[in-house]
Amino acid sequence: MAGQALFYFLALLTVAGSVAVVALPNPLYSVLSLVAAFLGLAGLYLSLNAQFVAVVQVIVYAGAIMMLFLFVVMLINLGREERLPLRLPIQKLAGTIIGLGIFAGLVNLYVSAPLLTGAKGLFPAARLAEVGSVQAVGKVLVTQYVLPFQAMGVLLFVGIVGAVVLARRRTR
Amino acid sequence: MAPLEHYLILSAALFTLGVVGVVVRRNAIVVFLCIELMLNGANLAFVAYGSFLDSLDGQLIVFFVMAVAAAEAAIGLAIVVLIYRNRESTDVDDVNLLKL
Repeated sequence: MAGQALFYFLALLTVAGSVAVVALPNPLYSVLSLVAAFLGLAGLYLSLNAQFVAVVQVIVYAGAIMMLFLFVVMLINLGREERLPLRLPIQKLAGTIIGLGIFAGLVNLYVSAPLLTGAKGLFPAARLAEVGSVQAVGKVLVTQYVLPFQAMGVLLFVGIVGAVVLARRRTR
Repeated sequence: MAPLEHYLILSAALFTLGVVGVVVRRNAIVVFLCIELMLNGANLAFVAYGSFLDSLDGQLIVFFVMAVAAAEAAIGLAIVVLIYRNRESTDVDDVNLLKL
């Protein structure tokens, strides 16, 4: 069961990276461990036969977005989180308990109900291997999903303009 | 390939870690990172379901989530830089007034 072993290795990498994001005091290390977690996720996408998503995850998420975070962390030169007394002392304990509650609820949902009740789609793994995952995804993207695709372009444009307007230095 | 439950439980773990990080951490940038973590937990569930149901819709939704995450990161980080300029700090506990 090489596939199973690979899954557990990648899942371990992803979870370890995510725990490090939450636990490490220095934001720089948090960003870098999130990159590690994203690389693990990209491997998981590959194991799910989603090659295009895996590549985009590495190039766009781990490459572009995380580097943006890294630039900002270095720009404003953050050190360790200071050990000031918390304004709400039970914050950490309460947060962890809430998290465990959410996790227990989600897992209970997944193990109690039948998961795959929907109708099967048009793209089983054999067909994807035949036409190519990227080609199939691209075709669906510019036919069935063309309107959300265009809206995505408008959203990114507005995002860029907004970021420039917000972060520009005002000269008076 | 591992069964669907394992992928879903992993995605629940990622989402939960994101929630805990948002509640527990006080640095605005780390809070943003934890939001990205939650988005990725949702993405993994989308791709896993899409793959097990022989459909591409899950992967397409992941693209849109990634685009929203990119726009959100750009705007959010610009806001963090602004807050830092005004307050010399990115601690969310320091940003407790609507006016500067």
